[in-house]
Amino acid sequence: MIRSVSLRLFLLSSLFLVSIVSVNAQTTISGRVINTAGEPVAGANVYLLNTIDGGTSDSSGAFKFETEETGVQTIVAEEIDHRDAGMPITINGDITDIEIKMNRGPIRMKNVTVTAGSFEASGSEATILNPLDIVTTAGAQADVVRAIQTLPGTQQQGNQTGLFVRGGDASETAVIIDGLVAQNAFLSTAPGVAARSRFGPFQFKGVSFSSGGYSARYGQALSSVLDLNSQDQPDESTINMGVNMAGVYASGSKLFNKTSIEGSASYNNLSPFYGLANTNFDFYDIPEGGSASTKFTYKPNENGIFKAFVNYQQFSNGTRLPNPEDNTQTLDFGLKNRNVYGALSYKQTWKAKWGMYVAGMYSYNQDDITFNTTPVVNKDDRAQMRLEGKYYAGSKFNVLLGTEIQQFSYERAFGAFNTNFKETQLAGYVEAEYIPINWLALKPGVRYEYSQVIGQSAIAPRFAAAIRSGLHGQFSVASGMFYQLADPLYYTLGYRPEFQQSIHYIANYQYVNNDRTLRLETYYKDYQQLVREKLNGTFDPNSFRVPVGTVDNSGYGYAQGFEVFWRDKKSIKWGDYWVSYSYIDTRRLYKNYIDEAQPDFIATHNLNIVGKYYVSKWHTQFNATYSYASGRPYYDPANADFMGDRAPDFHNLSMTVNYLKSFGKWFSVIYAGVDNVTNNKNIFGYRFANGVRTPIVPAIYRSVFVGVNFSLTAFDVDEL
Amino acid sequence: MKQGILLMAVALLGFGTTSAQEMNAVLMKTFAAFDSTRELEPKLAKANKLELIAKKWKDEWAPHYYNAYAKAQMSFMMGQTADDMSKRDAVLDEADAELQEAVSLLGEETSEIYVLKAMLAQARMAVDGRNRWMEYGKKFEENLKLAKEKDENNPRIYYMKGTGTFFTPKAFGGGAKNALPYFEKAKPMFEAEKKGDMNDPFWGSEANEYFISMANKQLNGEDEETETADEEIEESSDEG
Repeated sequence: MIRSVSLRLFLLSSLFLVSIVSVNAQTTISGRVINTAGEPVAGANVYLLNTIDGGTSDSSGAFKFETEETGVQTIVAEEIDHRDAGMPITINGDITDIEIKMNRGPIRMKNVTVTAGSFEASGSEATILNPLDIVTTAGAQADVVRAIQTLPGTQQQGNQTGLFVRGGDASETAVIIDGLVAQNAFLSTAPGVAARSRFGPFQFKGVSFSSGGYSARYGQALSSVLDLNSQDQPDESTINMGVNMAGVYASGSKLFNKTSIEGSASYNNLSPFYGLANTNFDFYDIPEGGSASTKFTYKPNENGIFKAFVNYQQFSNGTRLPNPEDNTQTLDFGLKNRNVYGALSYKQTWKAKWGMYVAGMYSYNQDDITFNTTPVVNKDDRAQMRLEGKYYAGSKFNVLLGTEIQQFSYERAFGAFNTNFKETQLAGYVEAEYIPINWLALKPGVRYEYSQVIGQSAIAPRFAAAIRSGLHGQFSVASGMFYQLADPLYYTLGYRPEFQQSIHYIANYQYVNNDRTLRLETYYKDYQQLVREKLNGTFDPNSFRVPVGTVDNSGYGYAQGFEVFWRDKKSIKWGDYWVSYSYIDTRRLYKNYIDEAQPDFIATHNLNIVGKYYVSKWHTQFNATYSYASGRPYYDPANADFMGDRAPDFHNLSMTVNYLKSFGKWFSVIYAGVDNVTNNKNIFGYRFANGVRTPIVPAIYRSVFVGVNFSLTAFDVDEL
Repeated sequence: MKQGILLMAVALLGFGTTSAQEMNAVLMKTFAAFDSTRELEPKLAKANKLELIAKKWKDEWAPHYYNAYAKAQMSFMMGQTADDMSKRDAVLDEADAELQEAVSLLGEETSEIYVLKAMLAQARMAVDGRNRWMEYGKKFEENLKLAKEKDENNPRIYYMKGTGTFFTPKAFGGGAKNALPYFEKAKPMFEAEKKGDMNDPFWGSEANEYFISMANKQLNGEDEETETADEEIEESSDEG
């Protein structure tokens, strides 16, 4: 205080002196700026305190400037990488050879974040994949889930639907949209035909994929959570439309002052797609359907947003499938699906200190199936609500408290035989994030879950931590307990198996530098209380099977493995590639297994190489993905070793080309892709009937897909 | 003592006005020198001088505003290595703080403030375009929109929009042809501006002329056009 007053007085008097004694002698001050190691500091701003007399140091650290000041002054040096340095000097004539020593400033480290088990894909930086990466991944066919399948921890799929993560089957992965469970995340499909997810790639601003050790916000998933965050308000009013080999679609959004309205509609008919491909199954009724959706957003203020979304979708198809019981016969599987989904959410923060999130959702799904001539009707619905509050005590500590209630029912009518069940689940959770020092982050949490149908409650602790090991690297660990009901099929049939349980232990190292990312991860996963059918030593591989006999929770298993992910956006100009490799060792005894075995949906080795290259002169992006998986186990009744046989290795090479072109204000993307370019005859296993071995194959080997998308953003003619 | 205070007050009053005139003169000269310098080292020296002016007249909003501008411009000239990138972000952190200081001294967010906010978003984007275009591209547009709401006759809005368009690849709706109407729209607005009061910003007309001639040159030599625009965005050596 005293110093600043005297400085101010000094400043004043010196100014008076300047104005009174209008001309003063110029003196030259020169010298050198160095760091503590004696190396020159270039670009430093060297000046006399409280004046504008100063100079800038050159590459040798030398500086020179002129001043009219005299007497005792303070000379100061500032440079972005160093701490400010200063020293007093007395000016009564030219001064040379001043040496100013600067200390190196603290290394600018980003805050450490927990990365064990989780891959983030969103628009913000420091993420591993962003939504555009998903769309441009060859072989993903613009499906979020298929793009996620190029990441470590997942299994290649060709004939089954869903995400199979670290030894878990597809039911062990929960798909979450804005904090709410998507009960029918994938299209309904015939057994043995893989279906895509229901979502469009640009519906989400962020995708977070957890291959284990996920947050206490979520439960009822033994393996993994795919957390999708829908877009907020559109950036601008747009019109978008397109046509491809699967149909036509159009969407539009209009942005008002604080609100926005969006709508979309599509008609799908896969005749052109199946017409061009040689299908392995007979699609006697070509898939055909349509969808419509609308979305409304309202931003009452800068830090709040309300969203409402409704989507309706229906389609029908007929597939002639091989009969698993008799290799000389086929089964006709006719399917008519209707699905409606509606969600409301409101998010608000106050003064960056308090946050609140409330959301509700309802979904209904109905499959009318004609199984040869027998009618089968599957209905399910789900209503749920989530309420959360968050408190931020600065940027170093926050705590989240939340509760969830979900009610869902499943009904299955097979001819005159009707089965169903209804479930209500309650959950409460608390989770904290604490960064005591800038190289350490801790994330403890605990979750309570209650299931009404089995009258059971469980407490699931979760913990994750990260340590930054340098400017670019960090170690993370994650662990936790996870509970999940068994397959709904058991409950509809009147069985009441208890919660199944898994415990995850994950360790991860991540190095990110200069657009290059390396991730190494290893894990151990313990499965207990898995559902099990007591069948006295007989195994039925039939996927249409209905469990009979005693069902209990005496199953168990484990999974362990390591994974490598490498992405490089730097080395190849205009190019980008990533490589992911997963090794897994897993065995389990569950469902109708007769012995502990590696499940038939698990390949020991999975490899993906994804490459993208943009040729700017042609405005064209070329993408290719190569996927490999070692042979999956299959069941041979003649082999005493249960699941002791291995199918051939899986290979798939996909390529896509995107050509970008603007026609006036219209921006267009013309795309063409070939999946399984080499037409490799992948075999996922074999089934045995009448002593004959029949290979299990995907619906299509090689396929071709072509389409075009047009979008118009600047249709406001007054924009200029 | 009373007399002393009175004397001080009179002195300060006088000091205030002469100081404001002096500030305007020093700032105008230094800023003009900064804006017309293209070489890195001398440009940094001018930027450093602007920093000193902002320190000296710390209670005036304008020096902080130009200091923020200079930092944004300097960040465009820095490299693309990991170290450079973190350094660029540190420089832009300072620019953000300086602009914030200008806003609090000014007491409002004017059209000019929003234009500079758009420039800072563009500078952040240029540090790591591939990973940041979604976040900062949006901020860039938002701030220009706000700037237009405050004063639609501010030529710097269209000039900035023009630069953003110019450095966007042609296939994404950018390129010289799409950028030119923005620069041409700005041109008469620049010509109508009074130039002399640093509290009423008037920068950008020379750069606007430069872009008009660049765009015309590219449009006449059609062949090289796409390559140049695409190459330049990749280098992120944006002129701002």
